[in-house]
Amino acid sequence: MKAGRAVRDALVLAMLGLYAMPFFWQVLTSLKPDAQLLTLPPLLPARLTLAHYDAVWAKSVMPRALVNSFGVAVLTTAVAVVLGLLGAYALARLPVRGKGALMLGIVASTAFPQIATVSPLYLLMRALALRDTWTALILANTSFALPLVIWLLAGFFREVPEQIEEAAALDGATRFQTLRWIMLPLTAPALASAALLTFLISWNEFLFAYTFTATEASRTVPVALALFPGVFEVPWGDIAAASVLASLPPILIVVGLQRFLLRGVLAGALRE
Amino acid sequence: MRSERAVKPGRGGDHRTALLFLAPALTVLAVVTVYPAIWLFWLSLQQRIPVFGIARFAGLEHYQFLAVDARFWNAFRVTAVFAAASVALELALGLLAALALRAQRRGRRLAISLLLLAWALPAVVTAKLFEWLYHPTAGLVNYAIGGRQLNWLGDPGLALPGLIVADVWRTMPFVALLCYARLLGVPPEIYEAAQVDGAGRLAMLTRITLPLLRRVLLIALLFRTLDALRAFDLMFVLTGGGPAGTTETLTVYAYRTLFQTLQLGFGSAISVIVFLTVMAIAWVYLRALERDEAAA
Amino acid sequence: MRLDHNSAPLRLARFAGRRAAGGLIVVALLAGALLAAACGRPPAGNGPVTLVFKHAKILGPTDPVADLLRKFEASHPGVRVKSESLPWTTDEQHQYYVVNMEGGGTPAFDVLMLDVIWVPEFARAGWLLDLTDHVPRAELAAHFRSAVEAATFRGRVWALPWIMNVGLLYYRKDLLDKYGLRPPETYEELVGQVHRIRVGERDVGLDGFLWQGKQYEGLVVNALEALWANGTSLLDGDGRLFPDPARAEEALADLRMLIATGVSPPWVTAADEELTRRAFGNGRAVFLRNWPYVLDLLQQPESPVRGRIGIAALPRHAHGIGGAGSTGGAHLGVHRQTRHPELAAALVRFLTSEEAQRTMAGGVALNPTRTALYRDPALLPSHPGFPEIYRLTLAGRPRPVTPYYLMLSATLQPELSAVIVGIKSPRDMVRQSRARVAHMLRDLK
Repeated sequence: MKAGRAVRDALVLAMLGLYAMPFFWQVLTSLKPDAQLLTLPPLLPARLTLAHYDAVWAKSVMPRALVNSFGVAVLTTAVAVVLGLLGAYALARLPVRGKGALMLGIVASTAFPQIATVSPLYLLMRALALRDTWTALILANTSFALPLVIWLLAGFFREVPEQIEEAAALDGATRFQTLRWIMLPLTAPALASAALLTFLISWNEFLFAYTFTATEASRTVPVALALFPGVFEVPWGDIAAASVLASLPPILIVVGLQRFLLRGVLAGALRE
Repeated sequence: MRSERAVKPGRGGDHRTALLFLAPALTVLAVVTVYPAIWLFWLSLQQRIPVFGIARFAGLEHYQFLAVDARFWNAFRVTAVFAAASVALELALGLLAALALRAQRRGRRLAISLLLLAWALPAVVTAKLFEWLYHPTAGLVNYAIGGRQLNWLGDPGLALPGLIVADVWRTMPFVALLCYARLLGVPPEIYEAAQVDGAGRLAMLTRITLPLLRRVLLIALLFRTLDALRAFDLMFVLTGGGPAGTTETLTVYAYRTLFQTLQLGFGSAISVIVFLTVMAIAWVYLRALERDEAAA
Repeated sequence: MRLDHNSAPLRLARFAGRRAAGGLIVVALLAGALLAAACGRPPAGNGPVTLVFKHAKILGPTDPVADLLRKFEASHPGVRVKSESLPWTTDEQHQYYVVNMEGGGTPAFDVLMLDVIWVPEFARAGWLLDLTDHVPRAELAAHFRSAVEAATFRGRVWALPWIMNVGLLYYRKDLLDKYGLRPPETYEELVGQVHRIRVGERDVGLDGFLWQGKQYEGLVVNALEALWANGTSLLDGDGRLFPDPARAEEALADLRMLIATGVSPPWVTAADEELTRRAFGNGRAVFLRNWPYVLDLLQQPESPVRGRIGIAALPRHAHGIGGAGSTGGAHLGVHRQTRHPELAAALVRFLTSEEAQRTMAGGVALNPTRTALYRDPALLPSHPGFPEIYRLTLAGRPRPVTPYYLMLSATLQPELSAVIVGIKSPRDMVRQSRARVAHMLRDLK
């Protein structure tokens, strides 16, 4: 029985490894010398090379794009989490007129298609002279990150037993102090999840970035990858290297911080 | 349902605090989410082409044109087929993956990591991944199916299936995780009791597991349908809507109209239709979920 | 109840609160620094004047433009020219320009390389600097007339011609000679020759006629050439689409037939210039429709078809008078809101000057727009095809010179793609396109 189980476990792992094959193939491609890229078989190259990474790092806009993506994602997360936890706490625990409708509106806005808001936002950014700036992207990303964060966090705040807050109030704490010293530590894992999720979706965001950025000054990684230049023919090796670089933060988040991330994502979805 | 009564002391101050706490978030949302949504409707009623300085009220002209526009109806059909096929495959495969994960004894963390890899990648990376996989001569897919040089992204009959496969690949993990998380909360005693009663594997699946997963599957169905209807990144970068519009969804059609030719009014009309469709389906699903919960 | 400030939890709170405040300040500063780094642009006027020149990547083994820019800097002390490249496809380049120049604001570039079809549109939108007074008439006369006309809008000149292009038919001279054939004058001849050569060579892998059928601007060019070859055009003088629907349908049906009968391989429907050039350059096809830049690349020492290709005019259909290739190319313009109009205009004039164009033609496959260079003794040895290309360029026709060309092209691309792929009949396509274009152009006349 034990052996059978071990075999079955190994089989499942192998199949999942196969599932992730597209990505591993891309990693392999990024290490294949140019001469061996376009012929198949052989699958494995005779030797590995770092030339593609060198080309991407030294000669493309990816380094700058990585900085842009990182900055935009961090700042979006900061804005969304700070504003979101204040708003979520208010909606979860404080008296607000029309709370039900407000919550419904916020939840509904997480369903807004990006294509619906991109043309008005384009005109708005144009009017505010924010084209090709980080600010434009942060604002645009916040438009869908903030409702999501509020929704997730409100659910978590509601699950904290009221008695704890009542005790704090009896001790004379203000709402802000209750939030800061009681609620936050209690829901810290959920906050971390929400922050990581926001970072992830901000990093991966493409439509707004493609529309609102024009030069390397603010171009993010997905856009740089989509517009990767090729002179004679498509540089599959370089694109593969750039793809791998673009994937590192999301992979780190998902693999390293699995527990944190899953709690946020799953909890939000399961609490319907 | 937890009560949302405010804590008793300091009632009046609570109102003010609530407003203070909510104000920043609501202000930002009003500016970047609500206002644009309203503005979109207004834009769709105008003929607005900034490049040529055209800005006039057009009423329902765009909608009248779209009603008989073959390209619009093609995009509508492509969107519907894409959403239906993707969601169906994701749910089926996701369920299978969740069951496999649940039965896993060792290496669960590794298994989940391998699975989640596909979900975490930016859609643009996935597009480039599959563009390379679908390469007619150097692509792994053609190699794996025996060396036939199928032109996946250039053949009008193959492009949409190819796109759907790419989309299912990247979104199935989400469904799998949702089901897996729900399954984790199921005590194993239920299965043991069923086994004692002589239930076979299939019976356990259909009589115990599926009913328990029903609600989660409905939620997954909701999320994934909305996401599939709004999808843009993958098809835009992988095929650009081609060849011959066989992978042009409503979102791609709207984007091309908006930003290739800056027809902001006409493009907004298409976007309005996407918006209304998505919200309508969301509403239908949510009602179904409510009724399901009430019945439970 | 009053708050007991000395209670243990609140003392802890105050202590931790100060540290948290410190942490918040650090985060705020970091955020501010990141924001400032992102939004900051070096103020103008400090140090050397920098002109930004935006252009597409030059196809070829070397980059002559960099040397030319250094030469300009040498003759203009205190001026730096920064060269920045555009996205790869012309459609993306156009979108880049539109998003950047529409709505004003400080220009991100001063001199821009323009596809010839964008000049009327950008001129009408008011994004280009009027160059008429910066360039003497005599200088303009040295360029191909069609190139200058394409850059003239409402009587003013908005860009200077830089690179010339014309659609050519490339053929495998060795194969045609082997069967005693001359370059085909009609498409019927072409198809016959393809069959004959394929049968003779007993090579089923040998493709017949390669052209650009991917859903992009190149497809519109190929379709235009097919229309002209059948004696009709895309727009008539009044701006009506497909003025002769019957002939237009015929021409489009013939394009579809090329693929349906196997004269052109099916992958042509996803092929652009580079893909078809590579296939032809590897000896995999008999005929190719492409731009002049291909000639130099195919005559490189490592090219498998070196010395075995020839160029000719595009064939015609039954009703056509004589095959005309589409002319095209790149122009150089100046951003209307540049801070250095004189310098930018000087750079444009320098890059389009005779020596600059001679350098470019000598280095890579960039055909000059100055007619004299086609008879230049310094260039003829390395460019024996010049006299022929010159003759064919004169016979070429420009795409419709209208500010609305891009909108037209964007509307027609998916329609044309549907026809050549076989999922829409030419009749339906012509009918639907006319309705759509009429709707689109309603406000633009």
